[in-house]
Amino acid sequence: MQQGNLTALSITIFIILTVVLIGFLAGRDKATRSSVEEWSVGGRRFGGLLVWFLVGADLYTAYTFLGLTSTAYTAGSLAFFAIPYSVLAYFISYFFLPKLWKVANEHKLTTLADYARERFDSKLLSSLIAIVGVLMLIPYICLQLSGIQDTLQVAGTGFINVKVVVITSFLLVALYTFFSGIKGPTYTAIIKDVLVWAIMLFMVVSLPIMHFGGWNPMVDKIVTEAPHLLTIPESGPKGITWFITAAFVSSLALFMWAHAATGVFTAKSADAIRKNALFLPLYNIVLILVVFLGFIAFLVLPDGTDPRFALLALIQTSYGGIGQGLAYSTIALASLIPCSIMAIGASNLFANNIYRDLINPRVKGPKLTMITRGMVFVVIGLALLFGLVFPQALVSLQLLGVSGMVQIFPAIVISLFWRNQSREATIIGLIVGLVVTFTVYSTGTSLGIYEGFWGLMANFATVVVLNPFFGKKAKHSSNAVKKYLFDQSSKEEQLVRKGA
Amino acid sequence: MKKLLLIVLISAPFIAQLVVLPFVNRIDPIIFGLPFLQFWLFLWIVLTPFCTLGIYQLQKSEGSLD
Repeated sequence: MQQGNLTALSITIFIILTVVLIGFLAGRDKATRSSVEEWSVGGRRFGGLLVWFLVGADLYTAYTFLGLTSTAYTAGSLAFFAIPYSVLAYFISYFFLPKLWKVANEHKLTTLADYARERFDSKLLSSLIAIVGVLMLIPYICLQLSGIQDTLQVAGTGFINVKVVVITSFLLVALYTFFSGIKGPTYTAIIKDVLVWAIMLFMVVSLPIMHFGGWNPMVDKIVTEAPHLLTIPESGPKGITWFITAAFVSSLALFMWAHAATGVFTAKSADAIRKNALFLPLYNIVLILVVFLGFIAFLVLPDGTDPRFALLALIQTSYGGIGQGLAYSTIALASLIPCSIMAIGASNLFANNIYRDLINPRVKGPKLTMITRGMVFVVIGLALLFGLVFPQALVSLQLLGVSGMVQIFPAIVISLFWRNQSREATIIGLIVGLVVTFTVYSTGTSLGIYEGFWGLMANFATVVVLNPFFGKKAKHSSNAVKKYLFDQSSKEEQLVRKGA
Repeated sequence: MKKLLLIVLISAPFIAQLVVLPFVNRIDPIIFGLPFLQFWLFLWIVLTPFCTLGIYQLQKSEGSLD
């Protein structure tokens, strides 16, 4: 690999260290780690704007920028599937997240698996959901890891031992997460989001001017030299059917991720969440333009450039020095901060829904808080281990992450609206969905449709077909969550009917 | 009438961003410097929040927002 750039490297390391310091300072107040609820969801006190920054910081990661530009570089407009996917995810969230937040707030729940346990009176279901969540999230944390690793590798070749710096920076993140909880990533998220917006806009404006003399000449050049990049393939293993089903399934899956749920549960009111559903799509205004940077890389970089480094190489050739340093530190932060939120989400699932629900039901109070916080080191340690030692084994899990996560959608979302949904049918549906997804993936029989789509259809069908066999019990049984969700509204409905 | 409007507002983002994609999957015409497909996706980044806002206002006026 070509020699890095010392100025860029120093700026990147300086900004990372500053942010880590702020992460520690955010947790000066001991209250931030006094209970699971304080540590993981900030005592549910965050207003609309803070949640917006947090969820945005959560979802627009280094992998988003590096992954989408490298997809654009190799597969053209397939990369744009991320746009309808996330816009629809926020739109869909408007219809269920406020309700879910209210149940969680009322019953002091901090994870989605907690909700499933209370809703269905089933520790089996909650631990199953937690296992799926952790299993899919660790590879995702690894992706973040490769984000910062690639950045340091391009900038630092010849100057530093990349692995040592990566391990050190992740341990620092684990430490500040352990210490400050969700407060750490929240305050640093604001810095990261502002930097992301500024740097991405700067690149979207300046790169076309530097290489083509402006945006329109750039588009003209793509139209004449590489028009195949600008439309979605009509057929093939990844064509337009894949694009549509992938966007749809991913949009249902987005808020099933533990880190996204953590971000949402920090909100102080259902209205803060509605506002977020309204304004989050605006993040994509930058994202859609960033995809074009992958096209620029395609036209500008020499043949044979590793697609994985498309954006990073483009930045290094175009700016060098200070510009490169600022851009790289933005990408590095976009890798470290989501990592912190993901670690909180995964630790929470680990401690509350695998350890407590499955192994030691009597653990509570300060001990549970300590175990939850300590899990951060386990989660980040596992991610580091897998990422550095078995990078290849993770590829399948990363590809299947979304398809796997979406399988808990019936348990989490449908159950908010369907009173008689039974625990048995939901559990079997979840398992069938996972099995179908993995089978379709490993046998390569997806027929140009997104794997998770097959799994989800099988999952839905199983729940609908099996539910009549178990629904009777579900109909007559009740619990606090069911009462909260359904009894009030049925009373209101009766009133409305009487009035009409 | 309100119900119809609600259904339109709920289904529009899905139809526009999933169902009609095969018909907007084209380069020409280039609008505001964006090839048509990208322009269409950009348009719905902006229009979707208006659908959400419309639904919010409708629910609020009906008092069905809990």
